[in-house]
Amino acid sequence: MAKSIDFAEINRFESDLESCMKCGFCTFWCPVYQEERVESCVARGKNMMIRALIAGELEYTKEYTERLNTCTLCMACTTNCPAQVQIPRVIVAARADKVRAKGVSFPYNIIYRWLLPRRALFGHVIRCASWFQGIFLPKTKGTIRHLSLFLSALGKGRHIPQIAPRFLRQMVPVVNKPSAGIDTVMRTGYFSGCMTDFVFPELGEKVIDFLTKNGVEVVVPKEQGCCGAPVFLGSGDFETGRKLADTNAKTFEDFDYVVTDCATCSSALKDYVKLLANTPQRKQAYAKFADKIKDITELLVDVLKLPALAYIASSEVQGRKVTWHDPCHLSHYMGVTKQPRQILKSIPNIEYVEMPNADRCCGMAGTFSIRFYDLSKKITEKKLASIDATGADIVVTGCPGCKIQLIDSTVQHGKPVKVMHIMELLE
Amino acid sequence: MWKIAGKRGVLISKEDLVTYSYDATTTWTHMPDVVVLPTTTEQVSQILKLANENQIPVTPRGAGTNLSGGSIPLKGGIVLCTTKMNRILEINKGNLVATVEPGVVLQDFNLALAKEDLFYPPDPQSFLSCTMGGTVAENASGPYCLKYGVTKQYVLGLEVVLANGYVMKIGGVTVKNRTGYELVMLFTGSEGTLGVITKITVRLLPMPPASKSMMAIFDDMAVGGEAVSNILANGLIPAKVEFVDNFAIRRIEEMMPMGLPVEANALLLLQTDGSSAAVEAETQQIISILKKNGAIDVKVAKDEVEAAMYWRMRTAGFAAVFSAAHTVMAEDVTVPRDKLAEFIRKLGEISERTGFFIQFLGHAGDGNLHPSIFTDIRDKEQFAKAQDAMAEVFRAAMALGGVLSGEHGIGLEKRRFLKEAMDPVAIELMKKIKGILDPNHILNPGKIWEE
Repeated sequence: MAKSIDFAEINRFESDLESCMKCGFCTFWCPVYQEERVESCVARGKNMMIRALIAGELEYTKEYTERLNTCTLCMACTTNCPAQVQIPRVIVAARADKVRAKGVSFPYNIIYRWLLPRRALFGHVIRCASWFQGIFLPKTKGTIRHLSLFLSALGKGRHIPQIAPRFLRQMVPVVNKPSAGIDTVMRTGYFSGCMTDFVFPELGEKVIDFLTKNGVEVVVPKEQGCCGAPVFLGSGDFETGRKLADTNAKTFEDFDYVVTDCATCSSALKDYVKLLANTPQRKQAYAKFADKIKDITELLVDVLKLPALAYIASSEVQGRKVTWHDPCHLSHYMGVTKQPRQILKSIPNIEYVEMPNADRCCGMAGTFSIRFYDLSKKITEKKLASIDATGADIVVTGCPGCKIQLIDSTVQHGKPVKVMHIMELLE
Repeated sequence: MWKIAGKRGVLISKEDLVTYSYDATTTWTHMPDVVVLPTTTEQVSQILKLANENQIPVTPRGAGTNLSGGSIPLKGGIVLCTTKMNRILEINKGNLVATVEPGVVLQDFNLALAKEDLFYPPDPQSFLSCTMGGTVAENASGPYCLKYGVTKQYVLGLEVVLANGYVMKIGGVTVKNRTGYELVMLFTGSEGTLGVITKITVRLLPMPPASKSMMAIFDDMAVGGEAVSNILANGLIPAKVEFVDNFAIRRIEEMMPMGLPVEANALLLLQTDGSSAAVEAETQQIISILKKNGAIDVKVAKDEVEAAMYWRMRTAGFAAVFSAAHTVMAEDVTVPRDKLAEFIRKLGEISERTGFFIQFLGHAGDGNLHPSIFTDIRDKEQFAKAQDAMAEVFRAAMALGGVLSGEHGIGLEKRRFLKEAMDPVAIELMKKIKGILDPNHILNPGKIWEE
């Protein structure tokens, strides 16, 4: 394969590629290596594979792609790397170079290139899927069912919540002002990720309700689209990623803050500048956009600086024992670990216990869990053991992705543990 | 091969082979032809039998964190990787021993021991990733070895698969054992050239109940070296005494800001451990010796968090040095501890004469420094000069009664110096032993001595 291959995206991370000194510390933190114990799974091995690709010793083969994809992008390797090498971002860049050379594979090309950028249409497709889901697939426990079509890829026997009967965008107005009698202290944009919009709309309502009660005017622009995580992170389709990024950055141009309740979305939005900024204009726009992004717990604790009194347990969780699972996108990507714990410790009438290895990946990792379902399940089992060790009634997290994985695994293993987003705990 | 180790235990794709072509050195790589990941001793035995009959080279490998080129499959053939043999078979608190498979990661082992208030001291700084099999094959050591001794002082028994596939058990589970030659010692530090270790029995210690960490600042590295000798001469053996030079201090602070004294010429990190009364008394004595011997300032970590920061800095030292240049020659010459200051001054002279900056950090307490020279293997002329400069470092250490390698092993990295470092009859003896145990020379060929 001597013809000139372009590694433009990887080359932007050349210093990361070069500064790995092969110490192998990443093996200890890598959720995939901990299961497989094979070198191609871990950051050091992937780094050396990418170097070999650039040197012309490897080609774009099926094996190369599969090994490059065997990564949850949890970023624990980077957090614990003595040289802070960002291998997950290099892996994403390598996926992008491959997509530019070889295209996106089916069915991701249809879903990502055509469907995801058309938010309203995407909603209709999801809606159709939910009808079929209701007709053809048996109900399992409570509100949990098997899904079809788009989410059936995630399904494969998974127990995951059904598509909501009404989407968030149909339930809430664009502008949500604080209730009468409450002073408006600030105005923020709200980015509702696909999971919140289509699967957990009541979470979105709760976020808006909590913020407006605390004097925040919340605007939910209809123009916003998918954050692009499955597109540019999962599949390396930077071209479509940039379309989504441009739309989202433009949609929230006039806001000082953009709040989300999905860790994956917020870190993906912040990562536009690191991964997708291929022109000076984009670099400027994406950097400005990145600064505005706040996880809901960051907004409450660091920006609004709400007093402990503001956090009241909903009647459902009063007297329960809770523990916190750090979503990778929140902890390893954004460094948000103290804020959710501060909130949980402030809530009276619940008992907070710290989970051992709280920051270890739950195995969801979006597209990863579709491609490597069995591996994903094995990783989750370690997380379940950690949850068990706490004796908690409720495991709390900050990402609907983790929430789906944890609901699926707790139900499958018959654990009496409830999985909740941190905002759902609050009155 | 598939019949022996199953489809998932045999890797043949080029992508996989690339990932078993390196270790943690920056100078050596070579592709294997196949990688096998056995899960049982029986599989190891069958693989070796097959390889021996067909005269295929076999390079045993753990996590590939070694710094000698030792796990590089220099002649291709099979990489026999033990990472999937990772069960802790027994922790016996009553007898203070444990038996493990070779792929158990050192940190996982110590975490399991900690639950029982037990402790396995040899602590190569790759402890997060290195395997027990690798630490025995390399006779590894680290900071704790000043007080507690190196790996060979802990290995009581081994199960070894010989080149012809025979599974041999040597040693036992007792601390005292005077049955025949010390064959356990023959395999400890054999760098994978005599057999494949498949079970390891080590002795354990109770976890010391208390510890204290200190950081001493010096404006002259050699003075720091003298201070170390004086601590020992006063009858004190701290658990660890580590050196960090100005270059590493700056690099570490740059990589992970933690408020280090970046102006300091050198730092000594020290730890005492034992009963709390003993720790308190020893710490005070050490502080006063350090101050009398030229320390500008001595800080005592106020709590575990601060102590952990000191030692995280030491662990980061590896990255600080290895990420500094394209090719880093990091060696592990060791000198008698009373010659430490003299050796440090010699390093200064060599640096001046050759024009190469010589960075070092390491285990000051046991005279084991890690002098590093930064170069670029792609620049042939400069690389050759760097090799010459490093040769001078070796010779200076040996002239002071030191050794070529304190803890990394010879591997590929230091083969060319072996003749200068060992009695020729001793080298012949090693070759004869190798010939008896591995007549076809299939096990890790090309290592330790030049052919």
